[in-house]
Amino acid sequence: MFGTARHAYAHGVSMSYQTTEVIEIQGKYDSGEPMADAQVAVYAPDDPSTPWLTGTADDQGVFMFKPDLSQPGNWEVQFRLAGHGDIMTIPVDAESNPVGTRGSTGGLNSVQKLIVFGAMTWGFVGTALYFSGRKQRMQKSADSGLQSTPSQF
Amino acid sequence: MAVYANGEDFVRQGFTSKDGWAITFDHAYVTLADVTAYQTEPAYDPEASESLKAQEQITVAESKTVDLAEGDEQANPILIAEVDAPEGHYNALSWQMAEASDGPAAGSVLMLVGTAQKEGQTVNFTLQLGNEVTYTCGDFVGDERKGILKAGNSADLEATFHFDHIFGDGSAAPDDSLNTGALGFEPLAALASGGELVVDQATLQQSLAPEDYATLEKAVSGFGHVGEGHCGADS
Repeated sequence: MFGTARHAYAHGVSMSYQTTEVIEIQGKYDSGEPMADAQVAVYAPDDPSTPWLTGTADDQGVFMFKPDLSQPGNWEVQFRLAGHGDIMTIPVDAESNPVGTRGSTGGLNSVQKLIVFGAMTWGFVGTALYFSGRKQRMQKSADSGLQSTPSQF
Repeated sequence: MAVYANGEDFVRQGFTSKDGWAITFDHAYVTLADVTAYQTEPAYDPEASESLKAQEQITVAESKTVDLAEGDEQANPILIAEVDAPEGHYNALSWQMAEASDGPAAGSVLMLVGTAQKEGQTVNFTLQLGNEVTYTCGDFVGDERKGILKAGNSADLEATFHFDHIFGDGSAAPDDSLNTGALGFEPLAALASGGELVVDQATLQQSLAPEDYATLEKAVSGFGHVGEGHCGADS
């Protein structure tokens, strides 16, 4: 019987993963160009006035977040970039199923499965927001500008 | 619930059109009628085919003509009306850009009075558009949420008018869809005589090249917004 040698390494790595559901949104212009680095604000059902989360879309106009499932109802996500903007509503039920219905190309798709390396993300809903082109001056209104913070989930 | 009209800094401070005309406005009269705010579920998407489904709505009883260029460069949006309203989230707004029955803009739906300058040329213009348009919009998009009315408090909504959709924006790229879809000012300047241009809708339809007139009509359809949020248009 042969023994199996075990080697001890000074830089051992411990890996683990968990699965969860996140909502992924992609903002695009109607030209198909992604809204890279768009300002994103997420509003929870319990307080639609105050952003529950703010962040920045990636270079493909993609933003992901994990809703607080203790707050079922309509989650709202606003994308803005240089005067272009739109807001969409994503109903989320208590069983953690986003059941949204909006999107210029057919609305929220059915839940798709995706494993992201690092095992943080598992399952997301994809959709796209489309905006017609506009570059505006700052509009005059009461101010409470979005505070951009890194997205996290 | 207070409802405001806002022409943004484009109309208060002036801007350069897509074709290089520096435009300033003395007056920008627009008449709003049947201004109605809605609580909708599901949220109304003006780009989808579904009709607006309102659980609650409030309407401003009277039409009102406002001058979006009123005040100085830092002027605030213009109050249209204040209406008692049940609490809730008013996430859709509609209004008709209607013909003014009296006042300086009588007979016009949208009357723009101002000056355009380019390379030593000056055109004093009065544009009197007469085709009525009804805008139906979703939720306000901007620096802050609007239309969320809590019991005992006040809230506001805004009908926003994007002048760059008509004239384009010289600070944007020429191939930006904003500019490719805008008329600009050059086709209008070509109709001026002795530096003066006074035209109504019928004259524009008769005098502009058909493709330019079509561009103008489409641009006016995209003129009404809620902040940065889009609207559907019916004329």
